[in-house]
Amino acid sequence: MGWEGPAAWGPNPGPQPRTPTRIPSCSDSIPAVPPGLDPPAPLGSPGTAGSASPGSPRFPRYRRDPGPAGLAFPPGGRWRRPRPLRPRSQAEAEAMEKELLEDYRFGRQQLIEMCGHACAVAVTKAFPLRSLRRRQPTLLVACGPAQNGAVGLVCARHLRSFDYEPTIFYPKRSPDPLHRDFTTQCEKMDIPFLSYLPTEVQLINDAYNAVVDAVLGAEGTQGTEGTEPCAAILATLRHVRIPIVSLDVPSGWLPGPAGGSGDISPDVLVSLAAPKEVARRFRGRRHFLAGRFVPEELRRKFGLSPPEYPGSDCVVAL
Amino acid sequence: MPGPRALLGLGLLVAAARAGGRCGERGWSWGLGWNRERCRCLPRRAMHVPSPGAGPKGLRFLGQEEAQAIDQELFTEYKFSVDQLMELAGLSCATAIAKAYPPSSFTTSQPAVLVVCGPGNNGGDGLVCARHLKMFGYQPTVYYPKRSSKPLFEGLTTQCNKMDIPFLPEFPAEAEFIDELYGLVVDAIFGFSFTGAVREPFGSILSTLERVTVPIASIDIPSGWDVEKGKADGLQPDMLISLTAPKKAAMHFTGRYHFLGGRFVPPALQEKYSLNLPEYPGTDCVLQLT
Repeated sequence: MGWEGPAAWGPNPGPQPRTPTRIPSCSDSIPAVPPGLDPPAPLGSPGTAGSASPGSPRFPRYRRDPGPAGLAFPPGGRWRRPRPLRPRSQAEAEAMEKELLEDYRFGRQQLIEMCGHACAVAVTKAFPLRSLRRRQPTLLVACGPAQNGAVGLVCARHLRSFDYEPTIFYPKRSPDPLHRDFTTQCEKMDIPFLSYLPTEVQLINDAYNAVVDAVLGAEGTQGTEGTEPCAAILATLRHVRIPIVSLDVPSGWLPGPAGGSGDISPDVLVSLAAPKEVARRFRGRRHFLAGRFVPEELRRKFGLSPPEYPGSDCVVAL
Repeated sequence: MPGPRALLGLGLLVAAARAGGRCGERGWSWGLGWNRERCRCLPRRAMHVPSPGAGPKGLRFLGQEEAQAIDQELFTEYKFSVDQLMELAGLSCATAIAKAYPPSSFTTSQPAVLVVCGPGNNGGDGLVCARHLKMFGYQPTVYYPKRSSKPLFEGLTTQCNKMDIPFLPEFPAEAEFIDELYGLVVDAIFGFSFTGAVREPFGSILSTLERVTVPIASIDIPSGWDVEKGKADGLQPDMLISLTAPKKAAMHFTGRYHFLGGRFVPPALQEKYSLNLPEYPGTDCVLQLT
């Protein structure tokens, strides 16, 4: 039928080649603009999103010198096209969510459902069923007490319908009735809930193919990660050797140019709506954006250039 | 490995029980003590008689009461919310449309789609579908004459408005106008709860739609059809997107594309009603039945 098609099933096809046009500046702090190009348009102006940059559109505005750690090339890693999206601060992310809920009248449950579904699709792209090491496609989904945890619950449910075998660890359950409903839905899909997380990391390495980290979201970057049991979960996750997929932000990462020595190192990051500030430090293999549900007007307002989502996919590899 | 499995609780006990391989039928259950032999479910398959004219082997076509019962169970037992399922249903519809009628296939200069929304949940599905179509690059226009005052529907309408999806103040008077302006019509007027006579303004809308020549994609049930018996002289859509499972009316569907959408039915529920749903491809939220 001529449709490019959603998720290709099978080995990971890798990032799609794209011409580097229409890419605004990656960061506000990019210094000199290469000669012949106009300076980057200010945030929120109509020129940033969706239209060709003034001047020569062929040369993405990235710096060649290392600069702050956030934009350094991964040592020995594959060269990646510069990220076309400016990472959002915590305040901006909250403002965007507020606008989606209040002005656009999205329901919170709707948004969490869309995010969770998109995260599940991203997990299947990063770890296709046939590529998993173990015979059973087991995954551990660690859910925290707040919204990030709820996204994790929805993600687990969709992974289950995609024929993976998720197991959830959800020690501190939110009293929010919405989150309780998500929990019931998972239970009714016969997704097991662990009663405790073993501190013996080898057990996790042996039992699961990957871990989905839905412990702390952007609120975790405020430094609340010390509260139990999140701290204990993160302490264990730091030492696992199987890949970690972090939802929105790697749990426990605090904002700033340099990470803490105790940070977890996710292999895959799925940014929700827009990449967050801490995503600058992400050095893993795949970075996905799940933001197709963000209306165009809102994207323009927050200076998000629309990435090209393949076909009817709800996630795009950055 | 017995060590980690013993410690890691229910999940791994189940995994060990299924170590020999997965049950072929989609409706298997995870419960403890569910051994592989029972998973084969052969006796169960033999127990129900496939409906005449059914699609893939053993796929069940639901009656109206069954469809309503499944819906109820999803909300009361499984604690899904209408918002959630409507979002997934609308996404399925938009995805199916994108597969069958990609924007490049439209003969109109823009991929313009008219979405006609009824007063109930089927209309809500249409609103969600319109929003996703917009995100997929189509240009949907909505006609939503009888608006529900429930917050969910007001929210969905606002989302469409804010995404610059126009709402028509009145329905095009002639079928020819629709043919000229739009490449596709989405029929989201009545769903599986429909009974009795068609009330205005939908009677005249349906008579106009019966005369359009552009393809019509119906959500769940072609509007105006009896949910079980169909309607020979009614709307004849080109595409039908059955949600959850096809209803008996789908047996009378003669259009080109029959898709299954609404990929949210838990395995236990599928098992309970012997839905025998075929496997969805990959992570797709739709499955083409014909």
